[in-house]
Amino acid sequence: MASTIENTDVKQKDPDRAVVVAVTSREVFEDGAEGDILALRDDMARKLLMLMHEMNERLQQESAKELLQFDVVLITTDSQQQQQSSSIISSTKHHGLEISRFCFANEEDFVESLQTNNVQLFLTSDKSEASQATQKGVLSALLDHQEASPPSDQLRIMFCEDAIIQPDTGPTPANREAIQGFAAQLGEIRRRFSLADSPLCFILVTAHGSKDSCASSLLTLRSSGISVDEAYCLAGAPRDPIMPLLQPHFTIRISFSDLEE
Amino acid sequence: MSGQAKELKVAPSSNGDSRGSWEEKEEFHQDNLGLTTKPTPVTGRRARKVEGGVFFPKPENAVTIAVSTRVLFRTDREQKVFQQKGVEEYLRYQIEHENEPFAPGPAFPFVKALEAVNARLRELYPQSEELFDIVLVTYNHAHVGIRLINTINHHNLFIERFCMTGGSSPIGYLKAWHTNLYLSADSEKVREALAEGIAAATMFLPEKQTEVSESQLRVAFDGDAVLFSDESERIFKAHGLDKFFEHERDNEDTLLDHGPLKGFLEALGKLQKKFYAKGQRLNCPIRTYLVTARSAASSGIRALKTLRAWGLEIDEALFLAGAPKGPMLDKIRPHIYFDDQMFHVEGAAEMGTIAAHVPYGVAQKHNAKQNTSVGK
Repeated sequence: MASTIENTDVKQKDPDRAVVVAVTSREVFEDGAEGDILALRDDMARKLLMLMHEMNERLQQESAKELLQFDVVLITTDSQQQQQSSSIISSTKHHGLEISRFCFANEEDFVESLQTNNVQLFLTSDKSEASQATQKGVLSALLDHQEASPPSDQLRIMFCEDAIIQPDTGPTPANREAIQGFAAQLGEIRRRFSLADSPLCFILVTAHGSKDSCASSLLTLRSSGISVDEAYCLAGAPRDPIMPLLQPHFTIRISFSDLEE
Repeated sequence: MSGQAKELKVAPSSNGDSRGSWEEKEEFHQDNLGLTTKPTPVTGRRARKVEGGVFFPKPENAVTIAVSTRVLFRTDREQKVFQQKGVEEYLRYQIEHENEPFAPGPAFPFVKALEAVNARLRELYPQSEELFDIVLVTYNHAHVGIRLINTINHHNLFIERFCMTGGSSPIGYLKAWHTNLYLSADSEKVREALAEGIAAATMFLPEKQTEVSESQLRVAFDGDAVLFSDESERIFKAHGLDKFFEHERDNEDTLLDHGPLKGFLEALGKLQKKFYAKGQRLNCPIRTYLVTARSAASSGIRALKTLRAWGLEIDEALFLAGAPKGPMLDKIRPHIYFDDQMFHVEGAAEMGTIAAHVPYGVAQKHNAKQNTSVGK
């Protein structure tokens, strides 16, 4: 049975205006014994959280009553982690991580938890978890701990069309709404910052399509509220040599037909 | 100021290169042929010509020419908006005028000529990836993306790869895509590229433009500090003409070291040989020229010996022995002429020749006019 607990050390966000991002406990912490303070797995999650927190602060600088904020939820996705709840809570506070809520779920019910918590973006490095969430209409993105460390002064989000189209696992209409809502809010956050030196950056990569499909993607994203900062049309050129240059924190793969009305 | 340009290699078209993963390589060609692009709300777009089955060559097999927006198109009005009103206003202006294509810029005839060569290559070698691959590489923000794509379509240009970096340096992408030549309006970016061993040159908006051939690509090069290193120029600048002649005579049998554009000439030569192999020597759509202040009887010998030793053929070598280059270039009508001295670049431009400056070597300390670069 999944449970959600608030982090009393962190200010709670407005449920209507906040952009809810969930990250799994395995992305953040190393395994440890119950009762121990858990070590951080690596710098990735900490930097991500810090970037979102810094953006929250900047948004509030302009207006103290600003409700548009990133709202981060830490979720467990297997029973082993689920049983480490007190360790997870105390470790979070110990490391000073800006997590507003904890969601203790297991393999069976974590997707449901994502839904009940109105999670708009689910971050994990586990492909199967991401896939399960996507199938139930929760937008997911994969974290890659191997990739060269992305910058710590800018959150770089990459959008990319699915490389392989799977018609039978197409998202449901609810998913379409979720993406639209997420894109609109994320775009709004971006607009609060200037064009140069922004703490948030959107990248579009068209891996195989022609420039016209890239144009189509640019327009589709724009009509959903996201004006892309950097665009790369590879026309089939290998992606590996430029990934270290692009340095995304994570990649959101969408089938762009999802965003069209 | 000057570094030794590293030798640029044009990779043979083998598939043995292990660089990067290319799992989709097989489906790739079929995908392209069957790819349905969504209808773009673009006005004035004409259908892209389908040429052969190979649309997008692998970067390491093709001769990659990277051009920036300011040299491919005319963006002077937009540049003014940027300079006078800042980046936000500049981007707003671009989006407002999204459906208005830009006019051709100084590199436009060159790019058109490259495409004409590609058309001939595809006729003779339909399966080959040894083609020119034109890539748009710009510091521009992706907000300008739609307008640029609309413009490319409007002019029926065959450019599918591009890179809009939103402000950060594109040098990494140039390297990743095995760029053989980079053309930009910004001399700082060009210097950066040269320092990384990428052939590069700065282009300027010409005051007047003469007509150039639409069927034959003509590329003209200065010798010293362009094809060759600047060692001889150093002697000339430091010790004068007599010492220069003496030095060249004494070193007649020593090869000159290579300059930043040697690799590009080499790449052109490889493509020329493909035409010769099919009996097209007299009808070759690529022609190269050396236009040098050296004189044929003396200092020119060393240049020719060096070219021969490098295995490079140049179609016409013009030794001017110090005479002005303008009239000669006017006769040649190259699509692009590379020179390391701004004095010659300006002189050529005055007569309507499309000239590009290679900011390499000792001549840079003596430039008559520094080109200031603003905007992206």
